Amino acid sequence: MSKTPLWLKILAQGSAGLVLAFLCLPILAVIPASFNKASFIALPPLAYSSRWYEAFIADAEWRNALLASLHVAVIATLVAVVFGTAAAMGLHRADGRWRSLLTGLFLAPMIVPVIVTAVAVYRSALDVGLSGTPVGLGLAHALLALPFVVINVGIALRGVEENWLRAAAGLGAGPWTIFRTVTLPNITPGIVAGAIFSFITSFDEVVVAVFLAGYANKTLPVKIWESIRLEFTPVVAVAATLMIILAVVLFALAQFLTKSAGRRTA
Amino acid sequence: MKRRHIETLLLLAPAVIFLGLAFVAPLARLFSLAFTDEAGMFSTFSTLIDSEVYRRVMVNTFLVAFAVALITVLLAWPVAYILTRLKGFWFAFALYGVLFPFWISVLVRTFSWMILLERNGPLNRFLINIGITDKPLSLLFNDTGVMIGMVHVLLPYAILPLYGAMLRIDQRLLLASDGLGAGLFDTFRRIYFPLCLPGLVGGATFVFLLSLGFFITPALLGGSNAITLSMLIASFINDRLAWSLAAAGSLILLVIVLALLAVTARFLPFGKGVYAR
Repeated sequence: MSKTPLWLKILAQGSAGLVLAFLCLPILAVIPASFNKASFIALPPLAYSSRWYEAFIADAEWRNALLASLHVAVIATLVAVVFGTAAAMGLHRADGRWRSLLTGLFLAPMIVPVIVTAVAVYRSALDVGLSGTPVGLGLAHALLALPFVVINVGIALRGVEENWLRAAAGLGAGPWTIFRTVTLPNITPGIVAGAIFSFITSFDEVVVAVFLAGYANKTLPVKIWESIRLEFTPVVAVAATLMIILAVVLFALAQFLTKSAGRRTA
Repeated sequence: MKRRHIETLLLLAPAVIFLGLAFVAPLARLFSLAFTDEAGMFSTFSTLIDSEVYRRVMVNTFLVAFAVALITVLLAWPVAYILTRLKGFWFAFALYGVLFPFWISVLVRTFSWMILLERNGPLNRFLINIGITDKPLSLLFNDTGVMIGMVHVLLPYAILPLYGAMLRIDQRLLLASDGLGAGLFDTFRRIYFPLCLPGLVGGATFVFLLSLGFFITPALLGGSNAITLSMLIASFINDRLAWSLAAAGSLILLVIVLALLAVTARFLPFGKGVYAR
C-alpha cells in the first residue's frame, strides 16, 4: 500500500471523520440544552436563559448532591492513592509469580462487572452498617479507583533507576530517606495522575452509588439518575454540563502532568 | 535480603487487606447467598434457567453485546487506520477525539443520547426534514437506543487496540506484497488484515465483555422494553428483595465474563497504559 489510491484515502478520512463526529458531538448536546428558557428540554432551545443554573444553585438538594459527591470523591481518592501507591511499589519489588498474581488481584475490580461489585458491596455494607454513609461509598469507590493508581504509579516507577536507589543506599540513606528524596519526587506525577483518575472515577460513578448512597447521601450522579427518571427538566442538563466541565479540566491537568513528567524522565 | 522482603510485604499488605475485606469477602458473601435459598441449593439457578422470561433476558443480553461488538469493530476500523497515517496536529486532533469521550461520565453521555433520540428530538426532526421518514422513529426505550448508546460509550475500547495492532505492522511487508505484484485487495486480505487480527479480536472481546455487564446505558435508553442481565439483577434487589436470585444472576454473569477472559486473555491490552484511566 505504498501508493494508497486517492479514493481510498478520501473514503478512509471521510468515514473516520464521521465516526469521530459521532464520538464527540453528541456529548455536547447537554450544553445548549442546559440554557433552555422553557421548563422542558428543547434542542436547539427556543429561547436561551441561565435560569436553570440559578435553579440548580438555589435548590438545596442539588447543592447537597454536589457536596456529597466531593466528600465521597475525596475519601475515595485518599484511600486509593495511599493503598495504591504502596501496592505499586510493593509490586515493583516483588518477583515473578507473586507479581502477576497480585497484579491480577489489584486489577480485578476493573474486570468484575460493576453491577456485580455493586450488589456484593451493597450487601456487605448493609451487614456492617456502612450503607448510606459517605465513608461506605468512599471505600467502595476506592475499590474501583485502586487499579488506576496501581497502573499509573507502576508506570512512573519504571522511570526510577535501580542505580539511584543503590547510590542513595551506598551514601548511607535509610529506606524512608531514599523514598522521600529519590523515589517520591520521581513518581509524584504518576501519583497525581492516579489521584486525578481516582477522583473522576468516584465523581462519575453511578452504579455502586445508586445502591450505597442512601437517602441522605445522594451524590450528583445519583441525583441526576433519579431526576432523569422522574422529570426531564433542563436542570439535569445543568448538572451534566458541570460534570463535563469538571472532567475536562481534571483530565487536561492529568495530561499536562504526565506529559511534563515524560519529558523529564526521557 | 530478609529485610527487603519484609518491606515489600508491608507495602503490599494494606491494599491486599483492603481488597480482601471490601471486595473478595463481599463477593464471596454474595455468591454464598445463591446457594442458600430455602427451596434447595441450586434452586435459584433452576429458577433463572427454567423461566422463559429470564431466558429471554439472557439471550437478549448476548445478542445486544454481540451486535455492539460487531458494530464497534466496523466503526473502529477507519479511525484506527487514519490514526496510523496522520501526523502532527491532525494526529493529536484525532487521538483526542477518541479520548475525549473516555473522560466524560457514562451517565452524562447516556443523558445526551436521551435528548437527541427523543420522539420530537433533533435526530428525528432531521430525519423528517431530509425526507428519510415522514413520522418520528422510535429510537428510545428499545434495543435501537441501547445499541446506539452502547456503541458510543464502548467505541474507544475497540479503536485503541486496533490502532495498536496496525501501528506494529511493518510497512515493508506491504511494499513487498505490492512489489511482488499483489493488488490492493490481495495485500489487504492476505497481509494487512491477518496482522490486524489480534487487535481486532482484542477490541471486540473487550467490548463484548463490557457490554455484558452494562447497566446505566441499557437502563436509561432501553427501559423495560430491552431488559439486560444487569438490569434484571438490580430489579431482583430493588423491586423484589430477592437476594438469592440476584446472587445467582451475578454469579452467572461473572463466570461468563471470566470464562471469556480466560480464552481471550492474550489478546487483551491490560496494563499497557492505554487504559490508564
